[in-house]
Amino acid sequence: MSWTLPKLVPRSAPVILIILTLAAATGFAAVGHLVARFNANQQSRGRKLYQLGIEDARAGHYDDAIAAFRAALTCEPANSQYQLSLARALRDSNDPRRLEEAESYLLALWQRTPQDAAVNLALARVAAHRGSVEDATRYYHNAMYGVWNLNPDANRGKARIELIQFLLKKNAVANAESELMALATSLPADPASHLEVAQLFTQAQDYPSALAQYEEVLRLEPGNAMALSGAGEAAYHAGNYATAEPYLRAALAANPNDTNSRQLLETTETVLRASPYRTHLSDAERNRRITAAFLQAEQRLTECAQRTGVSLDSAANPSPLSRLQARWLAAKPDVAHLRSPGETDLPDALMDIVFQIEQQTAGPCGPPQGLDLALLLISRERAAASR
Amino acid sequence: MTQPTTQPTTQPTTQPTTKTPSQIEGPAPTAGVDRSGLLAAPAYRLPRRLFSRLEGVFNEEVFFLILSVFIGIFSGLAVVCFRLAIDWMHLALLGPLPQTHSWRLFAVPALAGLVVAALVLHVFPGIRGSGVNQTKAALYIYNGVIPFRTAVGKFICAALAIGSGQSLGPEDPSLQIGASIASALGRWLQISREKLRLMAPVGAAAGLAAAFNAPVSAVLFVIEEVIGRWSAGILGSVVLSAVSSVVIVRWFLGSEPLFRIPVTTFKRPSELLAYAVLGIVGGLASVIFAKSIGYLRPRLKALPRWTQYFQPALAGLFVGLIAFLGAPQIMGAGYDSMDQAMHSQFPWRFLAILAVLKIVASTASFVSGAPGGMFAPTLFIGAMLGGAVGDIERIFFPHLTGSTGTYVLVGMGVLFAGFLRVPMTSVFMVLEVSGNYEIIVPVIVANTFSYLVSRSLQSIPIFDMLTRQDGLILPSLEEDREEAVLHVEDAMLPVPATILSAEDYVDANARRVQDSADSTFLVRQHPTGWKVVTREQLQNLFHEGKGELTLASVLLSQSLPSLYPDLPLDSALRYVNDYPLIPVVNRADSRQLEGVISRDSVFKKYGSPSGIAVQANL
Repeated sequence: MSWTLPKLVPRSAPVILIILTLAAATGFAAVGHLVARFNANQQSRGRKLYQLGIEDARAGHYDDAIAAFRAALTCEPANSQYQLSLARALRDSNDPRRLEEAESYLLALWQRTPQDAAVNLALARVAAHRGSVEDATRYYHNAMYGVWNLNPDANRGKARIELIQFLLKKNAVANAESELMALATSLPADPASHLEVAQLFTQAQDYPSALAQYEEVLRLEPGNAMALSGAGEAAYHAGNYATAEPYLRAALAANPNDTNSRQLLETTETVLRASPYRTHLSDAERNRRITAAFLQAEQRLTECAQRTGVSLDSAANPSPLSRLQARWLAAKPDVAHLRSPGETDLPDALMDIVFQIEQQTAGPCGPPQGLDLALLLISRERAAASR
Repeated sequence: MTQPTTQPTTQPTTQPTTKTPSQIEGPAPTAGVDRSGLLAAPAYRLPRRLFSRLEGVFNEEVFFLILSVFIGIFSGLAVVCFRLAIDWMHLALLGPLPQTHSWRLFAVPALAGLVVAALVLHVFPGIRGSGVNQTKAALYIYNGVIPFRTAVGKFICAALAIGSGQSLGPEDPSLQIGASIASALGRWLQISREKLRLMAPVGAAAGLAAAFNAPVSAVLFVIEEVIGRWSAGILGSVVLSAVSSVVIVRWFLGSEPLFRIPVTTFKRPSELLAYAVLGIVGGLASVIFAKSIGYLRPRLKALPRWTQYFQPALAGLFVGLIAFLGAPQIMGAGYDSMDQAMHSQFPWRFLAILAVLKIVASTASFVSGAPGGMFAPTLFIGAMLGGAVGDIERIFFPHLTGSTGTYVLVGMGVLFAGFLRVPMTSVFMVLEVSGNYEIIVPVIVANTFSYLVSRSLQSIPIFDMLTRQDGLILPSLEEDREEAVLHVEDAMLPVPATILSAEDYVDANARRVQDSADSTFLVRQHPTGWKVVTREQLQNLFHEGKGELTLASVLLSQSLPSLYPDLPLDSALRYVNDYPLIPVVNRADSRQLEGVISRDSVFKKYGSPSGIAVQANL
């Protein structure tokens, strides 16, 4: 096949260049049309494969989803949505080898659109999978302050909650608490949101803040059983038994099958009945409670010694328990002087022995029950108050 | 006393390197064509003033550069269509989601192989073989002519073969399509034969750059492998065409790189040992790959002609069966699988298996005569081998910091250097693909080892081997590099004992030569330059009564050219028949004589054992 320039066309350089330019423009238009049609077909095919992948991913069939997303990407290699979905499927497939590829896709997307909150959230989750607190926190923050196409406020809140859950899982409680504080200030007047935050405060062991959130839920939705139970539990753990009791009672009334609240209520009532530090107690009642606690402590000490095989009578080589018993025996005659008006320090001295016995026996003899548990809780409450 | 003369010295090194169009133009490729019209004739019935001004701008050099841009554009457009055709074929024949254990995997390449064989044997017989070699042959043998039919044939048959899953790559056909378009354009425009010869490499660079989306690697490959020598005259055109074709491809297909490059690291120099091991393993794999092709290709070609109808089909069936049995990654170019290997998607055992299977599959596809190139398979084998070696090394030496992706990338370059034997291109290819200069040292180390291992075990590079199997002998840059080149200093004789001065009287000079056994003497001119005089000439001048005159006033012969010791001895050949002695002077001081050469000393050197190789090439 040999072609030559037709004789009619002058072989002048400018003319040739014009002809070549026209030919190039024609070729450009033709190829552009061809590429556009091909791309349209590919996009249609890619969308079908993408939907297939989404369905597989929703069903938890990650291998199939990955194959479908890969095929969709062969149709549209630059499609960010497909890349993001493939990266998510790779990440969620729980195969550590795929995590690297997922991160690679996401990093490529991130380089193109660093402000994209969805990409940052996906990267944060990859970092969380890897257990990197620093990277995960950075990407979660990017997601919180990034651009969301839909429901920005709700998605930002969700991203922060996810970060808090991750931080709590990694025992980064201080970081989690600061995130929770920030979250609590921007919550909408929505019981569900306050309830979720209250539960996170509970997980972070910030019981006063948790109680405040539960109370906010109850203000917005009085009678919310979960909030009642949560408020009771938060107050209980905060050592605020007087506050805990009505919440727990109400929670039990709302849901009689709430065994946790029932158990906490029993302990709370025992604490309230046994505590000599409650206000508005008569002297006689206070002395009665101190005496009861003192006697209960001795019983606990004896049982514990028997359970652990420790002899309380060994004077040659005294154990901690025998030393406690010695202290108890030494203080026993003082119980009779509780009614004396001059003995103002005696109640505290006696209760100090009770608390020491309950605290030291809690370790070797297992968690206490009933009145012993109540005394132990009272001891912790006193210690916290003195701190 | 030396009396310098004012006559200038003629030196070969000072000759102009830029020729005018009239000097460059050779005979027209087509008899009876008036080529002067191309640049000089005004366009009739068009604005004469504008055109006459424009024509002043366009000498052939400028026109050739502009033409290179158009070659790049047309090649880029063709390669875009070629890539779409492969994708379309792949989707139409194998579907968007190729599954293992599907009958299509072996049925499609086998049936497509039958169609390809029929097309190659009956419609496009010129497309069989390597596009690189055909382009090279066009440059050195066929005056730059590659029939346009070859481009059409390569386009259709390669798209069908690669799209149906033959284990071949699209780069070599793209290169040849570009070269063929350029050649057709050159013939259509009836440009000079010398320029027409260069059109094919210019188009080849455009085609390869478009296929790889990597202009620098394409330029280097064309210079290293197709042209076979560094030539400033063509470099600009090659670069322009490569860049313009890449722009076209990126315009239509986007600027997404071939691979998503993972984080690549190189921290400790001691890790270079690990990359050296990869280079050695890669070199060995390259030799196995090349020897397999070198052994099987002539044997299959020697089989009866009717078997050629079935060879691509059998190769397709073989490749398809490998895919059917669990390794569909080896089908086609395999860029997606390379990308996955780069991101640690395969365990090392599977990577090693894929490397071995790809060698087998690509050998089968290539030797069967199915059109397609070896670039992509080379990269695939290197990637898998690199990943496998890297992972194994990390099992034994957990402190190694290089990721799997780093080894995969380095592995690609290793096979490129070892199999294709293009060491420079291999380095730049990895850098251009990865965009990461941090790994340049590992790449260079590994590629060097691979190249050395391959060269020591397989003396003839793969492209040269294929040309020789086809009965052609084409120049090779690698052979040039290894060739012993003789220099002027190798044939240089010591400085003669008697050197005459042009400022001295004839009788004085005649007396000085009386005791010398030589018959020819150098005469030093003032301030620089040399002449030569024979004993007989001196005696004649003396007998003619010119003894009282200076030698400069009576010696009217032309000044001698002078040479430098480091010049190739070939440069002396043009003078040795015209002058009995040629001075060899110092480059820093042209008055300082280093020695002389004569016709006898030059030819004696070429006749010596060390000169035989050079003599054979003269």
